[in-house]
Amino acid sequence: MIVEAKAISKSFPGVRSLDRVDFSVSAGEVRALVGENGAGKSTLIKIIAGAYTPDEGELHFDGGNVKWSSPHEAQAAGIHVIYQELVLFPEMTVAQNIFVNRQPRNSLRMIDYRAMKTRAKALLGDLGALIDVNEKIKRLSVANRQMVEIARALDSDAKLIVFDEPTAVLGGHEVELLFAIIRGLKQRGVAIVFISHRLDEIFEIADSATVLKDGKLVGSVPIAAVDRNKLVAMMIGRNLADIYPPKAQEGEVGEVVVDAKDIVVGTRVKGVSFEARKGEVLGVAGMVGAGRTELAHAVFGSLPLDGGSIHLVGQAAAKPSPARSIAAGLGFLTEDRKGEGLFMLLDLAANVTAPVLDTVGESIRLDRGAEKNIAQKQIRDYAIAATGPEASVANLSGGNQQKVLLGRWVISSRTALILDEPTRGVDVGAKVEIYRIIRQLARWGLAIIMISSELPEIVGLCDRVVVLCEGRKTGELAGLEVTENAVLQLAVARRDAMSAGRSA
Amino acid sequence: MSAVTSDPPRTAARQAIRQMPVSLLVVLGLIVLLLAIGVIASPRFASLNNFRNIFQQSAALGFVSLGQTIVVLTGGIDLSVGAMISLTSNFTSGWIDGDPNMVIPVVVGVIALGAAIGCVNGALSHYLRVHPLIVTLGMSAILQGCTLLYSLAPVGKVTDDFEAFAYGRIFGLSYGGLAMLALFALVGVFLHRTRTGNAIYVVGGDARGARLLGISVARTMMLAYAMSGTCAALTGVYLVSRMGSGDPWRGDGFDLASITPVVVGGTALSGGRGGPLGTLLGVYLISLLNNILNFMDVSTFYQWIVQGFIIITAVAIHVEKGRRA
Amino acid sequence: MSEPISGELPTDRAASAFPTGQLLSKYGLLGFLVVNALVVSVLSPAFLKPENIANVLTQAAPLGIVVLGQTFVLLVGGVDLSVASVMATSAVIATGFAATDNRMVPVIFAAAIGLGLVVGLVNGFLVAKRNVSPFLATLATTVVLQGLRFLYTQGSTGSTLPSAFALMGAGRFLGVPVNLIALVVLAAIFGFVLLVSKHGRKIYLVGNNARGAILVGLPTDRIIIGCYALCSVIAAIAGLFLVGYVGQVDQWTGKGYELDSIVAAVMGGVAITGGRGNVFGALLGVVVLVVMFNAVILLGLPVQVQLILKGVIVIAASAFYLSGSWERI
Repeated sequence: MIVEAKAISKSFPGVRSLDRVDFSVSAGEVRALVGENGAGKSTLIKIIAGAYTPDEGELHFDGGNVKWSSPHEAQAAGIHVIYQELVLFPEMTVAQNIFVNRQPRNSLRMIDYRAMKTRAKALLGDLGALIDVNEKIKRLSVANRQMVEIARALDSDAKLIVFDEPTAVLGGHEVELLFAIIRGLKQRGVAIVFISHRLDEIFEIADSATVLKDGKLVGSVPIAAVDRNKLVAMMIGRNLADIYPPKAQEGEVGEVVVDAKDIVVGTRVKGVSFEARKGEVLGVAGMVGAGRTELAHAVFGSLPLDGGSIHLVGQAAAKPSPARSIAAGLGFLTEDRKGEGLFMLLDLAANVTAPVLDTVGESIRLDRGAEKNIAQKQIRDYAIAATGPEASVANLSGGNQQKVLLGRWVISSRTALILDEPTRGVDVGAKVEIYRIIRQLARWGLAIIMISSELPEIVGLCDRVVVLCEGRKTGELAGLEVTENAVLQLAVARRDAMSAGRSA
Repeated sequence: MSAVTSDPPRTAARQAIRQMPVSLLVVLGLIVLLLAIGVIASPRFASLNNFRNIFQQSAALGFVSLGQTIVVLTGGIDLSVGAMISLTSNFTSGWIDGDPNMVIPVVVGVIALGAAIGCVNGALSHYLRVHPLIVTLGMSAILQGCTLLYSLAPVGKVTDDFEAFAYGRIFGLSYGGLAMLALFALVGVFLHRTRTGNAIYVVGGDARGARLLGISVARTMMLAYAMSGTCAALTGVYLVSRMGSGDPWRGDGFDLASITPVVVGGTALSGGRGGPLGTLLGVYLISLLNNILNFMDVSTFYQWIVQGFIIITAVAIHVEKGRRA
Repeated sequence: MSEPISGELPTDRAASAFPTGQLLSKYGLLGFLVVNALVVSVLSPAFLKPENIANVLTQAAPLGIVVLGQTFVLLVGGVDLSVASVMATSAVIATGFAATDNRMVPVIFAAAIGLGLVVGLVNGFLVAKRNVSPFLATLATTVVLQGLRFLYTQGSTGSTLPSAFALMGAGRFLGVPVNLIALVVLAAIFGFVLLVSKHGRKIYLVGNNARGAILVGLPTDRIIIGCYALCSVIAAIAGLFLVGYVGQVDQWTGKGYELDSIVAAVMGGVAITGGRGNVFGALLGVVVLVVMFNAVILLGLPVQVQLILKGVIVIAASAFYLSGSWERI
């Protein structure tokens, strides 16, 4: 065993984050670490990585008892955490990023750039990544940026690498590449901890899983010994037969409310058409980079439309803008909740009423009382774990923040609601609630357009699916046609067509 | 996308030029343009003597802008340089007071003082978590107050040899100008070829990330501001050499004046991007401009307007992408 | 937590569970002011004399007015370095009419407001539509105005003003300085706008997250430009009060007001990165500074000490509001 944590406990004022938790991972093993909100995963990892010191318990690493005094010490010993917010510097090159603070030096103690670049090329070559070491990080795709971080960990002779939700921002194809790399790392004897909410991926890549709940260890099991339901049951403490609510029945789906024709957005969207109907959940699937988010922004009016037309409830939207879309009853839950969605210094109530501010109170005066009532209703309806309408949103968990944003758009949307990766970074328990809310919104008569990179979610929730690949629509599936296989085929269709064309 | 090759020297140079940011090339272009305008404006412009003068006159701005560059690279700003120049110029002149034995100790002492105060700036900003804009503004007031407490009017004098710094020449090039170039080169090597220097870019890019990778943000900040303080102190000493005596208001205006070449040269106020080469070009650009305006007999008043437009132009060139989507 | 592990370095204590810190940051400055005032009034009874207080407030009023405008710009995440230049230019325009007839007063006001509008719109346009850093944009307008001003005055001072200006700038109404009354009125109006009106909330939304504000349908650019325009207009008006007080305009008019206004606002809790703070806190910052200046004089300390104390107070007061990391301009 490379890492063994025994009976680790850790408390913060008012909260017992970890209660006598055991955890271990061996060389060449991929151990998944799963659990809900506040389960303690992050605390455990931070203790292993040297960012926190445990109140009780022992930490063993590579055979010896250890007490880290800083994350840097743990890093030097060979423990690396690849956070979801990658630690990269956009203005510096790949080579520079790999060797930050560790640059090879020549006899004069000056940085040896040639040696640096050579080693960087070797590292990336080992990973099979075709990346130019002189390229600035800002020009790299997210998947490639992850490669750079992995290369950095490798060069530091990592013995343990922790991946924190690495696939959240990756599309299907890139996930496969990452898994191939993880398998390669396994073979080299690196111990891997894999944190994810995507159960499918856990079953694909992990050898074993440790489940935490409310700071306590529920159990550690080999993957072969459990199935999805059992794992979910361990995570949330109850058995869930149906994660997804039943789909729309015949007659529940109404007329077309969003009609997009031949949408062109720069080079990202090359002529996509689709329709969304009242009462249905329309999925938009595809790889990362397929153009789904750009399409959504164009429909909403937050990206300029270079071609095509949009009709909302029969009315042509001449020059779409967010303000006009909102006025027409269209809402947009964006994928980057911190950067584009939340107003961090304002309270929950302010975040909820933002799009409909002009209606809260009759005159120029903002009716704070009414605002708080609106927020309180959202808190109740969606079981948001916050202290009240005046709670700070910055302190809420990801799932609760997402609920706040969902609540915001529920209030302002009458016609249709676009959701971009609505369950990203959200744990299973909250996911189930969000699915329920989405289906309920559809039943109330909204057209839901849901962009998602999680195939199970697309298949489980959506009545119809539109699939994009490299900016074009490759297909549309409805009803029983909607299967993971079918969606995946369409998502890579163009790539196959292109390679077929080359060989032909 | 790339094969593993080691580039032969000539193509390496060509590649370096191609990789040079567009902004620097534009500044170079502007310099060339100004040279052309200068030639047209006056026959005396294109003389060796005139260029030597420009070289000499750019030293003061150059020293202080170099320090500012380092600070801006960390994502901060140093608005105390003006007061620092006033302080050091005043103390230098007052403490030497014509005594040749005092020259070296005072100069060393004053420069060390600059470094120490700069270090304090960095420390206050980091540990108190107050924006460097505010910290250095406050420090500026403190320094100016201290300077004025010492003397309200120019005081003391320096030895005749002292003026050699500013006026002495070798091969027709002033010591001051040469020292400035040397300092720029030194700092450039420091920033590019040492880990500590590279850390300045890293901290400017993402301080959080820098910490996670083991870089001490506190030490980097203190170093950067100490270097800025040193440069400002050096500027003060140099100006004493130029003017022959100190002045408690000598540094007035240098705060914002030192930022212009930095910005014009392509170093982003947000940090992590740019470098001393751009600032050097910026310094020469502005010195050139002032020189031409003098030749054209343009009153100082117009010069202000022109400076304003230069800032706007520079800003238009280096538009900070991604500040707002 | 399902939230991805952030790269935060450890603070092994929950940040928000520290009520004393929050109390300090809310009332600390006020408490400091009160203590200060008490100490000074004990050491120098002249401090509390109505005449002294009235004088102090009269001198502070122009800065207070400027700070009102600067607060709006700070709230949307910007800074306005051109306020001093606008003040001075407005003063130059006022004397430039060479009028002594009080009927010219509305004309002068109109001209000053026009100046403020133009400068503010330019600033706002550069920042909102051309993505220029506010620091640089307003620096540029400062310098340009400076040049234009000197072009016009050629360095000479002007002092021809209608008599109403003296009343405005230095006069009293029922014992209360007129410019203070103006400040209070303006503060009430803008305080209302910011804290109670919907438009005020929109300003906070934009300052918090400009991109997010666009996505909830707010006319973000217009709001930003509006704040810069308001700031410049207010600065122009402050310039009129200033020239009324001083009686003339010279090259020193308005000097230092841009930095002082930023500093006072930040001391009063307005975040330099935007989205937090209000005009009342900012005005409190002004009062603290001004009381301190007065105390120095009353206590017989050399005038330079004012500067030193100002620097110390500025840094110390801003350190109170240490909630989170600061970002770049």
